[in-house]
Amino acid sequence: MAAGRLSRTAAVAMNTYRESVRERVLYNLLFFALLMTLSGLLLRDLSIRQDDRILKDLGLAAIDLFGTVIAIFIGVGLVNKEIDRRSLYPLLAKPLRRSEFVVGKFAGLSLTLLVNVAAMTAGLYFTLAVTRHPLDLHIAKAVACLYLGLLLTVALALFFSAVTSAGLAVVCTISLVLAGRFADVVRNMPEVAPSVPRALARAVYFALPNFANFDLKDRVVHADPISPAYLAWMAVYAVAYGGLLLTGAAAVFARRDLK
Amino acid sequence: MRALPLLVAAALAVLVPRAQDELDRLRAQDARERAVLYVRSGDRLRRLAPGFRSLLADLYWLRTVQYYGAQIAYSKEKKFELLQPLVTITTRLDPRFELAYRYGATFLAEPPPRGAGQPEAAVALLERGARALPDSWRVRQDLGFSHFFYLDDAATASRVLLDASRIPGAPYWLVTLAAELLRRGGERETSRLLWQQIYEQADEAPIKENARMHVLQIEAADTADAIGRAVEEFARQRGRRPASLPELKASGWPDLPLYDPGATPFEYDPATGQVAVSRRSPVWAPGYARRPERSPIRPAPSAAPVTASPQPTAHGR
Repeated sequence: MAAGRLSRTAAVAMNTYRESVRERVLYNLLFFALLMTLSGLLLRDLSIRQDDRILKDLGLAAIDLFGTVIAIFIGVGLVNKEIDRRSLYPLLAKPLRRSEFVVGKFAGLSLTLLVNVAAMTAGLYFTLAVTRHPLDLHIAKAVACLYLGLLLTVALALFFSAVTSAGLAVVCTISLVLAGRFADVVRNMPEVAPSVPRALARAVYFALPNFANFDLKDRVVHADPISPAYLAWMAVYAVAYGGLLLTGAAAVFARRDLK
Repeated sequence: MRALPLLVAAALAVLVPRAQDELDRLRAQDARERAVLYVRSGDRLRRLAPGFRSLLADLYWLRTVQYYGAQIAYSKEKKFELLQPLVTITTRLDPRFELAYRYGATFLAEPPPRGAGQPEAAVALLERGARALPDSWRVRQDLGFSHFFYLDDAATASRVLLDASRIPGAPYWLVTLAAELLRRGGERETSRLLWQQIYEQADEAPIKENARMHVLQIEAADTADAIGRAVEEFARQRGRRPASLPELKASGWPDLPLYDPGATPFEYDPATGQVAVSRRSPVWAPGYARRPERSPIRPAPSAAPVTASPQPTAHGR
């Protein structure tokens, strides 16, 4: 029973992966990510003994930025596109639960992102190697954290994809991703605007997906230590928040009238 | 069976804030305050951003403010090492950015932990600002104040304020102030007058808050002096110094405050009879603590802080 469920979910995931890899936009984004990393070679002349740091900064920023763009724009189309193309109906006619479909879609795009992020990381390491800089293993740690953040972005995009139209889903996802990156501002709001109730600011702070949790780029570039406890809690946060979004997406999609 | 997703969702919803709390705690614990400034030449940046210089100046100014704020709020070391280059870049990108000169100079000049403790750099910045903005009496006023407050140079301060007073639109009191500085240069009372003036005149919250803080510091220093005089009087009457300030208060000085305007107890050394504002106090400042010998101290009953409530909120705000 469980094995069957798993294999059906895996089939949806692989299908999603194959489909998203066929999307030309992925190659374009990958191309730009690599281009951005390589442009670090030119930028280094503008700095004073900071070229390896710029390369790492730029490379990690590119991975973050392009990964987020991929997660949002492919993620919001995961459910809606299937409905628009009417390719969802034959799928649901098969013994496939809607929740399995949602989880499979999530897993498929996660796999696509994994491949992309891995390729971009390889590009960054390649650039460092070519410019004769040490291959800093901490970069991989930062990338792993970024990847967790990207998974949360996918879950967010998928949730909105299941809830509303593609256009609105893009707007909602981008808004929440941006708001989530400035979550600390919300937390500190009562300090600068005392009229904002502390409880409200705290509630909004916890409700927002806090993407700042996954941003360890600066700390990794400066070789600051990151405690294992932090990494563990980050993973807990990603699983909890992502799980909540996927549960919500599955629940909403299960009740959605597709006629 | 239908209840299962709900239960899972509820469990996850509880876990999210718990994990976030832990992450916040660990992040605060692990915080390493490092920042980096790649391009340190404002002129080079000007050439790199044709048509976008003002925008870039705005961005650098935002970064300056964020950097200063982050150092104040989160940094343990409070080194402010990037402050000067950031302000310099901002003002090189937009030489008429008046606010950047004025705020930047305040950030630079204030002694640690509230600023970079670089008064010379602050004065140099304001001098550059005065050249770039020949019509700005405010930049010159700040330059004069900086000479007085941070470099202890009343004569130059007075001259600069007189220069500022000649600019069309300058307030009349700049001349009076210039004369007063020249007459009583370096006195605590004059400092109070100037900071009070800045407090009343400032529109921007950080400048106003900084001025308010200085007024409170002066009040605290005055109160410490008043308590010191009471200790001397006690010793004269009884042939010994009081063992503690509460003893002094209970022995005929009921109005004597034991807390400064920052709600921190004054420090008292029974061996020497010295009373001082505690270094732990938010209103402690080295400058005012050094000046009492030069300052004519007012009699205790009329000293404003003597009746001040120990709560910091009772002051100014």
